[in-house]
Amino acid sequence: MTLSAILIVSAALFGIGLYGALSQKSFVMLMMGLELMLNGSLLATMGFWSLALGGAPKGQLLAIIIMAVMAIELAIGFALIVAVYRKRQADVTEALETLAR
Amino acid sequence: MTMTDVAFYLLSGFAIWTGWRVFRVDSMIRATFLLLLSFTSVGLIGLLLSASYLGAATIFMMAVEMMVMGLFMVMFMMNPAGLNPMMMVHQHRLSIVAGLLIFAAMTGAVLLTPLPSDPVAADRPVLRDLGIELLGDSMLIFETAGVTLLATMLGAVVLSSRRGRFGPTDAGSVPPGLSAGGPPAGRQPKGGGSHGGHGGHGGHGGQGGKGAHDGHGGGGSHGGHGKNGGDGNHGGHGG
Amino acid sequence: MSLIVGLPALLALLLIGLWAAAALDTAIGRLIVGRPVGMAATDPLRAVVADYLRQRTDTEAPDHLNWLLAPGYYFLLAVVGLALVPFAPDQSLIALDTSVVLWGAAEAVVVVAVFLHGWSPNAPFPLIGAYRYVAIGLPVMLLSMFVLIAASIPAQSLDLRAVVESQRGLWNVIRQPLGLPLFLAVVMSLTLRGPFDYADSADLAGGTSAEDGGPRWIAWQTARAAMLVAACAIAATAFLGGYLGPVLPGWLWLSLKTLAVMVAVVLLTHLVPRMPVAQMLTLIWIVLLPIAFLDLLIAGLGAL
Repeated sequence: MTLSAILIVSAALFGIGLYGALSQKSFVMLMMGLELMLNGSLLATMGFWSLALGGAPKGQLLAIIIMAVMAIELAIGFALIVAVYRKRQADVTEALETLAR
Repeated sequence: MTMTDVAFYLLSGFAIWTGWRVFRVDSMIRATFLLLLSFTSVGLIGLLLSASYLGAATIFMMAVEMMVMGLFMVMFMMNPAGLNPMMMVHQHRLSIVAGLLIFAAMTGAVLLTPLPSDPVAADRPVLRDLGIELLGDSMLIFETAGVTLLATMLGAVVLSSRRGRFGPTDAGSVPPGLSAGGPPAGRQPKGGGSHGGHGGHGGHGGQGGKGAHDGHGGGGSHGGHGKNGGDGNHGGHGG
Repeated sequence: MSLIVGLPALLALLLIGLWAAAALDTAIGRLIVGRPVGMAATDPLRAVVADYLRQRTDTEAPDHLNWLLAPGYYFLLAVVGLALVPFAPDQSLIALDTSVVLWGAAEAVVVVAVFLHGWSPNAPFPLIGAYRYVAIGLPVMLLSMFVLIAASIPAQSLDLRAVVESQRGLWNVIRQPLGLPLFLAVVMSLTLRGPFDYADSADLAGGTSAEDGGPRWIAWQTARAAMLVAACAIAATAFLGGYLGPVLPGWLWLSLKTLAVMVAVVLLTHLVPRMPVAQMLTLIWIVLLPIAFLDLLIAGLGAL
């Protein structure tokens, strides 16, 4: 369980998340991709804190900030999805091709 | 190869495999809970790394988040149960290349840089350190996060409120037709322009719309779930 | 606690607790409606065998995997909860210094398990039960978070073992009186009982269990009973002092206290009626959650 192994695993999660975020048409699936990317970065943070920082408390703080960011992104993301659907019946990214109302 | 190493490899393999399956399964509910499994594995790896609070809190938060995400999946995805095969992707090859490229670049960076090594001591009071840090040196960050979450809650309610700033948000919207380009689906109510009452969840809507369920746990309010069938333009319902 | 000692102890407590939960449910249910109690102790055992031998039913295009595994997830969460409970000073099967948070995580995953149980049959009543339960189960989990944090404040630790040790002078139920009633509400919600039974209720013809045939039904009921044992053990640990007590050995005290909490929960199940979902939501968010904050405030002031 070396730091390199943890970082490679988190890079894999990040890569899969990026694939999802770029390839999915539907908004909700796109958010799943974003969540996976944050998952990867959370794992990397925990790995660095545990194996390279000697348990400095600011490492755990960063991980908690990442979790807060996940929650915030999910909440606002879903609210925007609901709002955009109500206004324009758009549930896929293709439907938002113009800025026009 | 100690027990923790074996556990780490099993958990990380499971995390990556479930993360990949999220985008391959047809059933949207399964995709959501596969992501939950991926997060749970990362949380358990956190427990192995003696980040006891972070690991447990990851599992906790993600269970709630994925539950809400599941409800949104059913709301917005066309194939929630996976009864038909489905693949809604665009720029597929570009995304695969981008994902692989990022993975290769990051792995290269990891393998080529000399990483520091300073493992956390086994008897370090990790939890106590976190508590003192959160409420001591980093109190400002903590409070800012709290205010940000409050702003998120307000923002989520405002963004998904039916009573918009320029009039009801669904005044001009009509549900899509049952056939492409056909007349709007659903019952057309006489007053208001809201979507006709899709049955929805009998337990919610039946009380004359009193339910003030505009917030759910886990650190942030997500704009409501389900539709109160046909209660038109009642103000102040957070969805 | 070593696995050799801990695992059999856990299984013994679990099996006896399962039988006690089923027997209590039957006995108290019959007493309250005025029927003779009869063989309430053995009726559940006969029901297990009878239900297992009944016909297995199926629906159209269910989610087979999750329907099969949902009682398994539920049962696993109950086992995890019971493994966090300390049987003796510094002895619990899962020794973690954030066991309160892990129990909270188990509660959150219970909502997921019940939702999957209602989603999988691909039928209307189970789906409605699942959705109703999500609306109620998530805010009820917030209540449990706050009362357990309040119980952890005198212990200055998130470890259940430390929480028990901090009650050597005075039990938490006395110095934080609001904690246990709120936690009983949480227990009822976790085990789909009484006033919080929005998932499996009779007004939905069985709710998430509406389409379950014999074997699936008994698996789900077994998991529910196991969760009752686990949640009541956690309640006894956090509020009633766990294994602390004068004369008898620790594990016996823990079992007696768990049994007492189980009796209280089953009584409330059969005596308290259920409100419509919207009113229950209003109650939780507007009444119970501020009471939980008050409980946390009392605990904090006590620690100053």
